[in-house]
Amino acid sequence: MLLKLAITGIKQRFRDYVVLLMGLIISSGIFYIFASLAINTDFIKANSGISIAAQVFMFGMVLLLIITMVYVSYANTFLLSMRQHDYGLFMMLGAKKQNIGVLMVLETILLGGVASIIGIILGIGVSSVLSQFLFNQLGVTIHHFSPIYGPAMIDTLTVYVVLFALAAVLNLSKLMRTPVLKLLHVEDEATNVRVRPVLQALAAVLGIACLAIGYYAMAQIMTLQLTAIPIALVTITLGTYLLFSAIIGGVLTAIRKSRFAAKRLRTFTLAQINFRVRGYTRILTVVSLLFAMALGAISVGAGFQRQIPTMVASISSYTISIKDETPNEAKLAKQLHVKWQKSYQQTIQGDTAYYNEAAFAKQPFPMLANPAAKNDGRVKQFSLPEFKKKAIISSDFLALSPTSNHIRFLNNSDFNNLKGQKHQLTIIRVHSNVQDRKVLEKITASQQRRFHEPFFNLGGGYSGFVLFNNLFGGLEFMGFFLGIAFLAMLASCLMFKILSGANKDVVRYNMLNRIGVSQRLMKQAIWQEVGTLFIIPGVLGIIDVLFGLQMFKPLLYNPYEIVGWTILGFCMLYGLYAWLTISLYRRLVVPPMQLSK
Amino acid sequence: MQTTPIVDVKNLQKIYGAKKEKQYEALTDINFAVAPGEFVGIMGPSGSGKTTLLNLLSTLDVPTAGSVRINNQEVSHLKGKQLADFRAQQVGFIFQDFNLLESLTARENISLPLSLQDVPRSKTVAAVEEVAQTLSIADLLDKYPAELSGGQKQRVAAARALVHHPAIIMGDEPTGALDSKSARELLDLLSNINQQQNVPVLLVTHDPFSASFCDRILFIQDGRIKQELSRQGQARKDFYGQILEQLGTFEQ
Ligand SMILES: Nc1ncnc2c1ncn2[C@@H]1O[C@H](COP(=O)(O)OP(=O)(O)OP(=O)(O)O)[C@@H](O)[C@H]1O
Ligand SMILES: [Mg+2]
Repeated sequence: MLLKLAITGIKQRFRDYVVLLMGLIISSGIFYIFASLAINTDFIKANSGISIAAQVFMFGMVLLLIITMVYVSYANTFLLSMRQHDYGLFMMLGAKKQNIGVLMVLETILLGGVASIIGIILGIGVSSVLSQFLFNQLGVTIHHFSPIYGPAMIDTLTVYVVLFALAAVLNLSKLMRTPVLKLLHVEDEATNVRVRPVLQALAAVLGIACLAIGYYAMAQIMTLQLTAIPIALVTITLGTYLLFSAIIGGVLTAIRKSRFAAKRLRTFTLAQINFRVRGYTRILTVVSLLFAMALGAISVGAGFQRQIPTMVASISSYTISIKDETPNEAKLAKQLHVKWQKSYQQTIQGDTAYYNEAAFAKQPFPMLANPAAKNDGRVKQFSLPEFKKKAIISSDFLALSPTSNHIRFLNNSDFNNLKGQKHQLTIIRVHSNVQDRKVLEKITASQQRRFHEPFFNLGGGYSGFVLFNNLFGGLEFMGFFLGIAFLAMLASCLMFKILSGANKDVVRYNMLNRIGVSQRLMKQAIWQEVGTLFIIPGVLGIIDVLFGLQMFKPLLYNPYEIVGWTILGFCMLYGLYAWLTISLYRRLVVPPMQLSK
Repeated sequence: MQTTPIVDVKNLQKIYGAKKEKQYEALTDINFAVAPGEFVGIMGPSGSGKTTLLNLLSTLDVPTAGSVRINNQEVSHLKGKQLADFRAQQVGFIFQDFNLLESLTARENISLPLSLQDVPRSKTVAAVEEVAQTLSIADLLDKYPAELSGGQKQRVAAARALVHHPAIIMGDEPTGALDSKSARELLDLLSNINQQQNVPVLLVTHDPFSASFCDRILFIQDGRIKQELSRQGQARKDFYGQILEQLGTFEQ
């Protein structure tokens, strides 16, 4: 009997359940993806090349756990608000409170379990597609990474079931304390809290202080070392929360009282935003943090991505040198996207490498323009005398004869008469290591096979590219991967929170329709209302990132170099989500002008 | 003297349900007019079509056939912006469930129809003060609906319906959710405004006491106007008796 009632209850509010379930599935999916990286220590060790990476991941994990708790608690409040009326009705019809309690706990845990299982499956799918895509785009090789990772599955399931069980117990105690009649009339409670100026001012000051401490801690990461991260996490979360609750309400109330508000639907929209922002303080805090983390992760990922070519360029003026090109190697070299190509002859006699001066006069050897300390990757072709002076100390030129201790330049006839091991060198600079990495790998492998040289004796930018990719590629991959995962989490958080509030707005927009508000005005109001909910955390998130990037100063030349572009790209993705949410919301909320249409 | 009516309804018909579905004729061949300054009541048993009629008059729904003219404007064909403007400017509607926006203060709720027309702020402030005085809610203006009693809420709703001086005021059982004292206050207010400002009022009601405030009552049954009752200068008490009598004959 009760089961039947429960099923009818679900049928009636099917749309709400779909929204709720979807949100939970996405959040558990992302949790799984993150866990599959964060607790996979082999993966982190093999790919980060930086010892603190494991700790950073653990902090990330803790943060994600907190976010998940907020998310689950919100989901359960929503669930309870949906079911409350039904439970009240069952009790009126004579069902025992205990039975209702059992029903509720079962329902809740079942929902959590089902959502997380589907979420894990979804997570595996997304993780495989996303990682394949990133591998191809970034040209990095990742070791010990697998989209299907058992321990992460177990963790995700455990976390969700435990959180839902906790939430169920909390809901239960709430339910038991509420009188039946009140359960039946939950819809119409007062929603407006009065402004308390002193308290709000205090909260604002405290919030700013917290944020300042957090940002300072991040900027001082060199002296504070690892402690900077927990300090920053706590203070920034707290600060953002306080600032939200203090400022937004006050500012909106001030605007509402001003001349500006008296036009068209502005009062209404402002009130809606005010009402929303207050109810959403927790979720908006979470969102602004997620936004910052996602943007931060992507910025750092992009920072590494940008850094690798610069570092590669400063290692050597050329990409590879091919010794005594075979027809097969020549065929491979034709596939490269060559920027420039030179060839020289070399004769090895004893521990000295000899070159023909005339060849360098005819086609000058491009060399790194500046010595080590001032090296900025610029390449220059020097005059012959100058070249000869510089060549004997230039690392990229010396790398052409790794086993010789001396280098000598001879004139044409001397060189031609010289006995010894003769080699033909082909020196190539390509436009992009990433683009040509597959061909470069084949040529290098072939050279290694033929001359039995250790890999890094081959010289050239490509060997540096491989080295840095091993070192930073993992970090870069993690940055992008996590950034995109966080963005999805963030969007699902905000989107589902907003969509789940649609029920109450349906009533409001219906009222507006009846008193003669045009469709255009209503749509505009929704754009402003929902848009603001996206913009506020977005702006705070960007500010968080601009300060947060301080943390990466020890790792990156200039973490701020391309942050503008990352922010732009990120905002476009985020904007897409906002647009999607707004369109969905509009469809849910704006009524047709007339009943029969 | 012949005056043009504010409301003129001719051969109005409403059928619910699409062509292929099960259809239900909720209104059949309704004809009546409301003169300027008239207070008209619409009564009838539950399901007789009162709300349907009022929805058609207030353009919330479209008739299947027939014409509705309000203030010399055919309203059944209005669309889009014209429709919205018509609702916002010509009609003041008081709903049974108040229809106040709970996120706005009483003052903001009342100002809404004026804000929609971009009336300057100083004029809005004055108009709201004035209507609040008339309805004795001046000291409640800065409260939120959740902080008001049912009767107070309905007076705020009435103020919002009146503030922009609409051509006609309509109410679908506006006293339905009120206790008898609040109901009486609201009806007194409505008839005062009706008399002083000469605004016509169209009131749907179940309740003979509410109906006794009207000048004329239309009785609807099964979607048709079955009977009309005019007050013709009677005292309210006597008219009340007459209404009760009329309802008695209906029930048999
Ligand atoms: N949207 C609709 N679709 C189909 N039938 C409807 C619809 N709205 C109303 N009806 C039917 O039309 C008839 C008239 O309904 P209406 O709401 O106008 O009655 P009413 O006189 O206002 O009743 P009450 O006094 O109970 O409010 C009823 O039989 C009702 O079932
Ligand atoms: Mg009705």
